[in-house]
Amino acid sequence: MAPAFLAFHLFLIVVVCLRDTFSVFASTPTILPAAINEIWQDGEQTAAALLGQRLDRSNWVRNGIAVYLHGAGIESGYGFFAPNVPPNYKLVFEVHYPDGRIDYEIPRVSNAATGLRFAGVLDQLAEVTYAPLRAAMVKIVAYSVWQAHPDASLIRAYLGSGRLPTPAGFERGEKESYDLLFAYDFTFPRRRTDAP
Amino acid sequence: MKRPATQRMEEFLYFPASDSWLGFLRVAVALQLVTYCFSLWRDWLDLFAIDHAGVIKRDLAEAILSSQSHYIPRIGWLVELCKGLGATEQSALALVWWSLLVTAGLLLVGLFSREAAIAALFLHLCAVKSSSGLTYGVDNFTSIGLFYLMIAPLPDRWSADCWWRSVPGKDGQWQGFSRRLLQLHLCLIYFFSGITKCVGVGWWDGTSIWYALIRPPFNLLPPETLIAWKSLFPVLSISVCFLETGYPFFIWLHKTRAVWLIAIIAMHLAIGLAMGLYFFAFVMITLNLAAFGPEFSFGGVGSKPARKIATIPPVSP
Repeated sequence: MAPAFLAFHLFLIVVVCLRDTFSVFASTPTILPAAINEIWQDGEQTAAALLGQRLDRSNWVRNGIAVYLHGAGIESGYGFFAPNVPPNYKLVFEVHYPDGRIDYEIPRVSNAATGLRFAGVLDQLAEVTYAPLRAAMVKIVAYSVWQAHPDASLIRAYLGSGRLPTPAGFERGEKESYDLLFAYDFTFPRRRTDAP
Repeated sequence: MKRPATQRMEEFLYFPASDSWLGFLRVAVALQLVTYCFSLWRDWLDLFAIDHAGVIKRDLAEAILSSQSHYIPRIGWLVELCKGLGATEQSALALVWWSLLVTAGLLLVGLFSREAAIAALFLHLCAVKSSSGLTYGVDNFTSIGLFYLMIAPLPDRWSADCWWRSVPGKDGQWQGFSRRLLQLHLCLIYFFSGITKCVGVGWWDGTSIWYALIRPPFNLLPPETLIAWKSLFPVLSISVCFLETGYPFFIWLHKTRAVWLIAIIAMHLAIGLAMGLYFFAFVMITLNLAAFGPEFSFGGVGSKPARKIATIPPVSP
């Protein structure tokens, strides 16, 4: 029984790792030729199928595997800052008041540990491909800013992608620059208890 | 005479091991959980209360989670359960925080170790899954540590279960089997992490190390200081690729095991100190030491068989 469990557990780890590795190979710039991206995509699809992810959402095998993967902490592959370090994303809020004043705010957290975690939220905001989901996520963060400025008439959110200088560029005096990725306007009712 | 492959496989999987690794893993993962609780206690309600102004909402995180499965643990279950008993959302969330802290405390001292490990894994999963936007590697690796604690033969001889409740410690082949699982898992983690780095251009010319160190919020070191060491970037980044990809091979060889373990620990220490990823470094060092450390600290498998273990009857799988 135990060897079967070990085989099952390691099999799932390998398949999850392969799925995420193939996905990275297929979707991000690597030293591998772009011509074989289809192979990686096929590999990713096969690995996903092995994990039951092509089955119906109500299928018990799919659900059972998903619960096991999450329960064991093995639902995602391992590639910290790989194959490339992601851009530095920044979220800035422009707070407009009825009298024409404008303030600028960034999302606030209470300590460095949470700040570190928030960097992951910015990565997700930038990388999520489903636009309504991204808008909903930005609105939630904007709501937290609005609670600190309940008299604001409009909150405009800017999500930018930072371009870090290369070592040579830094030596030439280049600084980090930002490209605007998305902008959203939000208005909230003037009652503190109304969640978005 | 050559032993059959199945026998060699059995000897590999069920090697006799002491419970030192388990005691170490239990205490270190429990400490990690305690720090998790305290690092989030100020933000706990903002993170999980629906009507609080958190930077990410629990209902959204749980909706995304449901797209994978409705049965993955989440805080929402516990809140609904408490609400059904007449509690408010805030008191339910406070109860979850205290429960996680108490289970971490029980795990730390080793009282009701297995029950504490199961409860801690469940509560930690609930919290992590319901704040999925705000999680990173450290949470996954804490879950992994808790999972191995849950399936390992607790209690260990240093736990309160052993010295206070007189529950006998479990040595022997199950210890070896559980530790082997963790060892193999670590090998896969480093191999895939290394391979993925190897295909990135930046890991061959050193720019990835530079970007990683100057990218907010990991930019603890001033770039003016870092740039003075730019000639080291390619060496360091290729070394990281080599260390990680080579881990599943060189960690098993007697001649290279110590070197590889020390180098990996040094790498995690450097990441922790230079990038502010202290908790991440701590959990990775913990898993490495639990998996491969006892060989050096306690005279393990490859070096000499543990005398105590020989007296314990083998447990059939």
